[in-house]
Amino acid sequence: MFRLQSSKVLAVEMTGDAVRAKNGSMVAYDGDMAFRKLTGGGEGVRGMVTRRLTGEQMTVMEVKGRGTCWFADRASDINLVGLRGDTLHVESSNLLATEGGLRTGTGFTGLRGAAQGNGLFTTTVEGHGQVAIMSDGPAVLLRVAPQYPLTVDPGAYVAHQGDLRRSLQSGVTFRTLLGEGGGEAFQMRFEGDGLVYVQPSERNTIGGDV
Amino acid sequence: MPFREINSKVVEATVAPGRRLFSQRGAMLAHRGEITFTPSTAGGQGGLRSMIGRRVAGEDTPLMTVEGSGTVLFGHGGHHVQVIDLSGDTLYVEADRLLAFEDTLEQGTVFLGSQGGVRGMVRGRVSGQGLFTTTLRGHGSVAVMAHGGVIEIPVTPQRPVHVDPQAYVAHHGEVRNKLSTALGWRDMVGRGSGEAFQLELSGSGAVYVQASEEKL
Repeated sequence: MFRLQSSKVLAVEMTGDAVRAKNGSMVAYDGDMAFRKLTGGGEGVRGMVTRRLTGEQMTVMEVKGRGTCWFADRASDINLVGLRGDTLHVESSNLLATEGGLRTGTGFTGLRGAAQGNGLFTTTVEGHGQVAIMSDGPAVLLRVAPQYPLTVDPGAYVAHQGDLRRSLQSGVTFRTLLGEGGGEAFQMRFEGDGLVYVQPSERNTIGGDV
Repeated sequence: MPFREINSKVVEATVAPGRRLFSQRGAMLAHRGEITFTPSTAGGQGGLRSMIGRRVAGEDTPLMTVEGSGTVLFGHGGHHVQVIDLSGDTLYVEADRLLAFEDTLEQGTVFLGSQGGVRGMVRGRVSGQGLFTTTLRGHGSVAVMAHGGVIEIPVTPQRPVHVDPQAYVAHHGEVRNKLSTALGWRDMVGRGSGEAFQLELSGSGAVYVQASEEKL
């Protein structure tokens, strides 16, 4: 059971079940807990190979036990997302914890990742349960509808869920080449029906300086 | 209550004649009224002997005495500030986390090695606390800094709490702490879960934990 102790600390009540969390993100616990780094971080040998190949290496530990366990990471803000059979796409660096019943995988996201500076792949979480995602500053939840597509800065993108198509847009014009760019040369465009989480801060991206 | 939280990162302190404060040097943001700030060469209280004690211990964060009458705003480095009220018990806290405290509190330095010998010393090293830590005892309030806000977790005899040494901020009450290791063969081959060292706090009191593994 996930609960926010404060905006930056996640409390998880456990009764013998397991959760997966970012390696080293435990700050305190009571009761009995066991921490184990997951081999490869994914499901089975295939997940391991995929992760090795894709470079989407999120180091994950499995926490199992009874009691309350508190998680936090570098004072990031934490948002809880409930999944009911749908899929959440999240930047692996923004994933803090997932309930044991959820499956994590690696999704190919096209060339967008290259501009974003952290690879061509993101993490997908699917199943039924809760996910805790992190953002640098409180995240904003933006709705995308068929008639209202959304464009976000790749550095501010955190996660999205729902039936969304995502594409990379380049706003490179002759001005950019002359060094007069507006600083927003690469953008992510979402079309369809779903939700996008955006943080009030921008990661360093390759395209970010243009 | 001499401290009032203005927001999560700034506290306002009220100073009146006979009610002095100690604060970290340079942590004053603004003040109203007639207030004087004097570098406190003795490093707080306890005379020369404890001053030397603190020098040796590396717990001699420069403090200043704040006196006069008026209000002072304190904040430092954009860190979150937590006000802790003490009613006769002892707060154990790292000196560089102290933002300000009332002069009714008695300041001291403890050698961690005296709590559990060599293991105590190892504990200090691992938690980055060093071998010495500062204690404040008596009745009064303390403003403590932490990275990313603080949560208070009660410690009861039936319910010991384990804390990541890097996220530990302070504790008070009758709390024993010991470093427990969960080192397994996995850590030896570089497959550790990153939670190999834990501070185990037992007894009765409370522990303050910050939402980050970063030092100040």
